[in-house]
Amino acid sequence: MKKMDISTILASAIHESKNQVGTLLYQLQGLKESIPESDSKNKKITIIEESLKKLNDEWVEYLYLYKLASDGYQLHVDTFSIDEFLDDQVFALLSSANAKNLKLTYACPENLMGVFDERLMTAVVGTAVYNALRFARSTIEINASIEDGYLIIGIDDDGHGFDNSEEEDLVESNTGLGLYFAQLSASAHISKGKSGFLKKERSPTLKGARLAIYLPQ
Amino acid sequence: MDSSDFASKKALLIEDMAEARIMQKKMLSDFGFRHIEIAMKAETAMELLKTQSFDVILSDYNLGNGKDGQQLLEEVRHSNLIPNTATYLMVTAETSIEMVMGAIEFQPDGYITKPFSQAVLQRRLSKLLEMKNRLYKVNRALDQKDYDKAMEEAKQVMEQHPSLEGKCQRVIGDCLIEKEQYEQALALFSNILKDRKMPWALFGEAKACFYMGMLDKSENKFRQLMLDNRFFVSAYDWLAKIKTAQKKYHEAQSILIEALQRSPKNLLRQIHLGELSFTIGDYLTAESAFRRAVFLARHSCYNTSDVYLRHIESIIKLAESTPLQSRQKEQFNITLKKIHRYFFEESDTRAKTYSYQLELALLEKDLITAKGFLKLWQQEAESGEATAPTDQQLTHYHAAFGEKNEENGH
Repeated sequence: MKKMDISTILASAIHESKNQVGTLLYQLQGLKESIPESDSKNKKITIIEESLKKLNDEWVEYLYLYKLASDGYQLHVDTFSIDEFLDDQVFALLSSANAKNLKLTYACPENLMGVFDERLMTAVVGTAVYNALRFARSTIEINASIEDGYLIIGIDDDGHGFDNSEEEDLVESNTGLGLYFAQLSASAHISKGKSGFLKKERSPTLKGARLAIYLPQ
Repeated sequence: MDSSDFASKKALLIEDMAEARIMQKKMLSDFGFRHIEIAMKAETAMELLKTQSFDVILSDYNLGNGKDGQQLLEEVRHSNLIPNTATYLMVTAETSIEMVMGAIEFQPDGYITKPFSQAVLQRRLSKLLEMKNRLYKVNRALDQKDYDKAMEEAKQVMEQHPSLEGKCQRVIGDCLIEKEQYEQALALFSNILKDRKMPWALFGEAKACFYMGMLDKSENKFRQLMLDNRFFVSAYDWLAKIKTAQKKYHEAQSILIEALQRSPKNLLRQIHLGELSFTIGDYLTAESAFRRAVFLARHSCYNTSDVYLRHIESIIKLAESTPLQSRQKEQFNITLKKIHRYFFEESDTRAKTYSYQLELALLEKDLITAKGFLKLWQQEAESGEATAPTDQQLTHYHAAFGEKNEENGH
């Protein structure tokens, strides 16, 4: 038998699984609509729905990771209104935050424009927020600014911060995939000879951890 | 955007999977859409688009065995079957999105990746409609082919909504190309590229260079685009155009063959390959290209008799050098039947069809059949159903009959 590339096999297996998660989500939505809103089962259904959504987002992250690592990712940059982009991210992730009784907000200057690959950055912000959801005490904030020719997207929380357990968790127990993925995504953005990068910091506003993604403009 | 905005709009939903179709239809009616048409495949969608107009088109990329959502989009945009003012939202999977984003020439207004919730679809759709609303005057001018007005409107939109600058700049550049002001177009696109390597701007530069006759420069830019983006298959069509302009027909032909290996369902490319192969006398390739084109044409907006006639003409050309194989003869008859079925109302098509049948009979030295066709043709010409044979054709036929008669007499 011809020896096959195991990472390609895994990538297509992940894709299959992701599709099944999609089907489950559709079916769950149908189930949700069939019972009244007041029903106590709704809470459980929401939890299952959130978990499936997270699972789907993780599979997407792994697929992109595979493509980035094997130079198969085709970067498609475009110009976006940052306000709209962050609003979209909060909209997609808010229910996950609410399910944990956490506040998720965003802040950025009005009329801020940025150039980046929307799909990748959606996955990166999602990964960072899912991670922050595990450590934040009450609040997570996504923010953005432009400094020295870089668009900086930050994910801040009010947890213990990177110097304690959070950093280790992102790197170690999650096998470091999330951070590695964010790094590859940032560095795939290249403009005028500069590439993107990450910074792990202490959040100046929320005093917890801050992951800052620098994207050259 | 509240539901009353959706209520007045007409939607077309194209999705092959029953479960997703039912779900999406329900979502759309929940948003307030009152007019929703459904198509299960691209071919059905095409028929609907030919006969009705829609404001919103929600199409899956994956549509089973026939055309995919991107091919459908390219065809309807290319043939102006849907106005620029309509909103096209493509539903994709993670694997197919690159095909959609890579098609720089014809892109949907937006895309949404599966799976998505009702809330996400509603939000995406509302935002898209808002964007199209802002660009309405630009797109209406484009639909009316009033390029000066479109450029003027685009400049205004750009000032009011900085986030739409890229889209507006692209419209202005494309309008300049339409107005054959290639130098200005080139300057505009180059200026954008100074800031940022935007594929559409590089594409604009490449087109402008092509029209200005700077073919080598244009080729370099298209090659760069293909290198940056392996899903940009229409770059092959442009390269073939460049090679044709340089009279390097064989190179053009191999470029098209390579592109068709990647997307065999592209009708216009099949026709292009067929025509090019005619030019260089490669009737074998011409026949196979037009055979595929005939197969693809039926459910497209390019379903004209020309495609079918070119196919049988290519078989005649083959018969001129060697007797036809039974398979080729069969292909001839299949396409002939289709012409009879779909195009026999056209008097020119009838005349051309008879001329090919007559020619084939002559090549097969079947004079009785040949004469029969001429008689039929002339009868129908008298009744006005077919265009009459030209004097030149008649001379040719009579000579053929006469000579062969004499031969038979010996």
